[in-house]
Amino acid sequence: MSVLARSVGNAFRNKVRTAAVVAVLAVAIGLALAMLVANQAVGAKVQELNASVGTVLTVNPAGGQGFEGGGEPLTSEQAATAAGVPNVTAVVGTKALRLRNAAEAAAQAAAGQTGGPGGGQGGPGGQSTTTLTTSLTAAVDAGSLGNRNQAGDGTTGSTGATQPARTLPITATGIGAEVDSTGKALELMEGTGLGDYAADSAKALLGTTLAEKNNLKVGSTFTINSKTFTVAGLFDAGTTFGNNALYVTLPAAQTLAELPGELSTMIVTVNSMENVDSTKTALQSALGTDKADVTQGQRNLETAVSSLDSVKNISLVAFIAALGTAGLIILLIMVMLVRERRREIGVLKAIGAPNRTIGLQFVLEALVLVALGSVVGAAIASFASGSIASALVSSSTGTTTATAGQRGPGLAGAAGGFPGGVPGQGGPFGGASQLLTSVTASASPGVIAAGIAAVFGVAIIGALVPALLTARIRPIEVLRGE
Amino acid sequence: MIEVKNLVRAFKSGDRTIKPVNDVSFELEQGTLASIVGKSGSGKSTLLSLLGALDKPTSGDVVVNGVSLAGMPDGKLTEYRRRDIGFVFQQFNLIPNLSALDNVMLPMEFAGIRKSARSQRARELLEQVQLDPDKHVRRINRLSGGEQQRVAIARALANEPKLILADEPTGNLDEQTGEHIIELLSSLSRDHNTTILVVTHDRSLANKTDRRFRLQQGKLTEEPARNRPAVPAAV
Ligand SMILES: Nc1ncnc2c1ncn2[C@@H]1O[C@H](COP(=O)(O)OP(=O)(O)OP(=O)(O)O)[C@@H](O)[C@H]1O
Ligand SMILES: [Mg+2]
Repeated sequence: MSVLARSVGNAFRNKVRTAAVVAVLAVAIGLALAMLVANQAVGAKVQELNASVGTVLTVNPAGGQGFEGGGEPLTSEQAATAAGVPNVTAVVGTKALRLRNAAEAAAQAAAGQTGGPGGGQGGPGGQSTTTLTTSLTAAVDAGSLGNRNQAGDGTTGSTGATQPARTLPITATGIGAEVDSTGKALELMEGTGLGDYAADSAKALLGTTLAEKNNLKVGSTFTINSKTFTVAGLFDAGTTFGNNALYVTLPAAQTLAELPGELSTMIVTVNSMENVDSTKTALQSALGTDKADVTQGQRNLETAVSSLDSVKNISLVAFIAALGTAGLIILLIMVMLVRERRREIGVLKAIGAPNRTIGLQFVLEALVLVALGSVVGAAIASFASGSIASALVSSSTGTTTATAGQRGPGLAGAAGGFPGGVPGQGGPFGGASQLLTSVTASASPGVIAAGIAAVFGVAIIGALVPALLTARIRPIEVLRGE
Repeated sequence: MIEVKNLVRAFKSGDRTIKPVNDVSFELEQGTLASIVGKSGSGKSTLLSLLGALDKPTSGDVVVNGVSLAGMPDGKLTEYRRRDIGFVFQQFNLIPNLSALDNVMLPMEFAGIRKSARSQRARELLEQVQLDPDKHVRRINRLSGGEQQRVAIARALANEPKLILADEPTGNLDEQTGEHIIELLSSLSRDHNTTILVVTHDRSLANKTDRRFRLQQGKLTEEPARNRPAVPAAV
């Protein structure tokens, strides 16, 4: 019989009490673990969100964005000015073009639908409403959103006539580097990039669905304004809208638009997340408020992140509190056991047991109880952590969830509304279900193991105090009954 | 060799001070079998606990083989109890939720003896005190008083101590088993040169010891040696 065997035996000496102690410990440990898992999940989510906010600033002409609004276009000189602002690591210019299927444009012209006062096939006003024809057909059907949006497009004069089915324009963007219109690196599925993005080449990158719709492969050709382009690669933007697009080099787009040196937007990369705010201000003043609008990609994510951060803190505090409770339970139980077994401890000392052996025996007994509590507690945590995490998030971030809801219509850009909107990225939360997925992912053996290690650490501290008390019991206690 | 010098143990009870051990001095040669008799409450158990380093004297000293217990640090006293002393408690003081075998093995575990050697020796000791083999693995609280007493004796012998202090070791035993225990103890003092001090009310046991002491109102007096006419016990 060893110290450990004796400790295990002692832990089960009073089975009813052991069961009660384990149950109470399990609740505390389960809560601690659930809070830790929630903390990790929310932490991971915050990191993910921070990463998606990124360090990118978007510069649009003052008063305009995408194909909408007015003002003066951006120029290459402004790009050079932006590059000179401190903490800016890269400036990528883009030039957006709107492409219409040539055959359809002709049909619509024949139907007399294009002669609105707004003029041309372009949208209203706009600095970059360069609409060109192409041999390509859009991969997206107009649908009801498309028809509504297109109907407002400079066709005020048409009444009575049955309107033919509309198709959507295709966005062609000239890019100064291999990034999409929001500054994210393009994900090429096939083929290669465009090589030199500063050259006026006849190569293009097509979205996968657009290429599919037009039966194009890497190496195939198509035309824009009767200029022939070769497909150099296919990319996947992850969204239907994003894939109904193509990219050419910036000079190629400027040549097509016959507007050399003109930019639709500039994508400015800042060296670190902390500098984004200050750089934004610096950039705005360098370019002039009357000339350019500087925006940060996904501004309202910040509120989401800050309220998630507070959830993270709450769960951390709760984790520590539950951990402390577990330690306190152990402390009190062990103090009680030591008092109860005073006489027995005296006997052990009387027959020559060193203090450390007796202390160790009590610490081990406490650990047996904690081990049992951890097993039950981990089971409780695995059932409870998901609902606890989502309860925490929904109760303390109600406002954020509302913000996410408001973003909904913006995301509908993916369905073919206003080009130039933020391509679908998912809301700040992507809903409770997504958080639950990340909670499940965070309830990894590693996190649970770390939590249980913390519980054991606290339990050892909790058990050490009563174990040290045993050292003060005198062997003479055995001669005196209680 | 154990020397007891002017040993005093005083207890405060209310505003009165009682001294169950009051200026006790004596010496025992190694290998002596000695007995102490005395009325209930005369201080026999108190004296034994001082000799066994379970309690500390109010004044005086116990010197074991030239080493004084007074001023010895607690760690050393623990070691003294573990290595040099075998104590048979009046109340047995066995660990109730352990088996007889485990109880006997405990002092050996504290002394760092290998597990296989421990259980081997524990079985032998339990056989020596005539505990039925099928009761070796039985839990203490399922043994009779006499059986528990014999387990307590076996435990005291576990680490082959130089000094055995036995408080009423035959109090719960029938005459025949008591005789056997007395035989066992005297053979230990004879053959293993173990010093043995037995507290007893049992005349026949006391009569078989080499030296006999009487404790009365805290004072120890020695009775005439064996084979001389015994002073009638006051009990
Ligand atoms: N811790 C204590 N506090 C106060 N008085 C004590 C204490 N321990 C013992 N006594 C007293 O000391 C006296 C001697 O007790 P002790 O147990 O030594 O007697 P004993 O000779 O062993 O008696 P018995 O034969 O009944 O076992 C008793 O009067 C007892 O009440
Ligand atoms: Mg007594």
